[in-house]
Amino acid sequence: MAETRPQAAIAIAPFHTWTFPDGTPWTEFYRIGSGYLLRFPGLADFEVLGEGERVVCYPVPGIDEATSEHLYLNQVLPLVLSKRGKLVFHASAVELGQGAAVFLGESGRGKSTLAASFAVNGCRFLTDDGLVVEPAGGGYQVLPSHPSIRLWSDSEEALIRPGAETAPPLSYTAKSRFLAGAGIAFCDQPRPLQRVYVLGKGTAARLELRRLTAAEALVGWVKHSFLLDIEERPRLASHFDQVAALAKLPIHFSLDYPRRFEDLDAVRQALVEHANDESVTA
Amino acid sequence: MNLSDKVTIPPQVMARTVGDETVILDLATGTYFGLDPVGARIWALMEEGKTLAEVCERMLDEYEVTREQLEQDTLRLAEELAGQGLIAV
Repeated sequence: MAETRPQAAIAIAPFHTWTFPDGTPWTEFYRIGSGYLLRFPGLADFEVLGEGERVVCYPVPGIDEATSEHLYLNQVLPLVLSKRGKLVFHASAVELGQGAAVFLGESGRGKSTLAASFAVNGCRFLTDDGLVVEPAGGGYQVLPSHPSIRLWSDSEEALIRPGAETAPPLSYTAKSRFLAGAGIAFCDQPRPLQRVYVLGKGTAARLELRRLTAAEALVGWVKHSFLLDIEERPRLASHFDQVAALAKLPIHFSLDYPRRFEDLDAVRQALVEHANDESVTA
Repeated sequence: MNLSDKVTIPPQVMARTVGDETVILDLATGTYFGLDPVGARIWALMEEGKTLAEVCERMLDEYEVTREQLEQDTLRLAEELAGQGLIAV
């Protein structure tokens, strides 16, 4: 962490931008020298040097350390890991059956709410975002990440018992962060990847599970990948090849259900049965 | 778009074949496009830097199809891909 500094205008255009649905930029990606500058407008700049060996954070004056740290852990670190060849995705994961079930989906699809629903009912979560998958033992395993879950207030009210331990609030979101503990079970060990669910829009009238083709699974993984440099073709080709191999496993399903908190018990029960049913991947 | 056009593929666009389908993905926008084996062959020839006319000439050697039909299909595919930003001319 370096000293605070205002975000001066940058002469070059970003080579990539993440935006909110309303078009407001969330993250701007710039090339600087042999590295990168990641700008979170109004919050902080992060300089990523070389292949990500070193990252320097420059918070905007007035931005607290908790916000800078969270941006680093949840946004910058996954991007740096992708630069180093790791497979990192926007997904949550919980321990289910003999392994891990992964929930892939766009922002707002309910990844964290579903993971929290499992975690408060004794089913340990591995991550609520920034999922890292790596080859292991002829298959793949899911690594645990930061032991906290971020939730909007409606999910908080429905799922979290009063008195749960929270982390400091962040400058850029009204979501609360709940730390793993007695009431929110966390798995701190890697677990074999057993099921992958791509979350639908919540338009289903009842719970729907459908097996995905390998092509659909590939699209699901790639669309939700953290990638620092989307123009670095050799790295992208490697990423694409790794994800294509992963997508061929017969463990990928689409999952949709009405987004009603009172339905979550039934959704969890169905997923537990699905995870334990070996015939669905035969 | 014309048959004399040569297409270029943006650096963030890639294709991979999984199962029976080839998937083209734009990693910047998340746009994707699925191709059957014939479409995948056209894509592979475009990737080699051929003009659409050259793509058609090669395809005529490999597939039993009329020139008129092939040229129509190739132009339609190229226009669809260009419309989604997956190629540029």
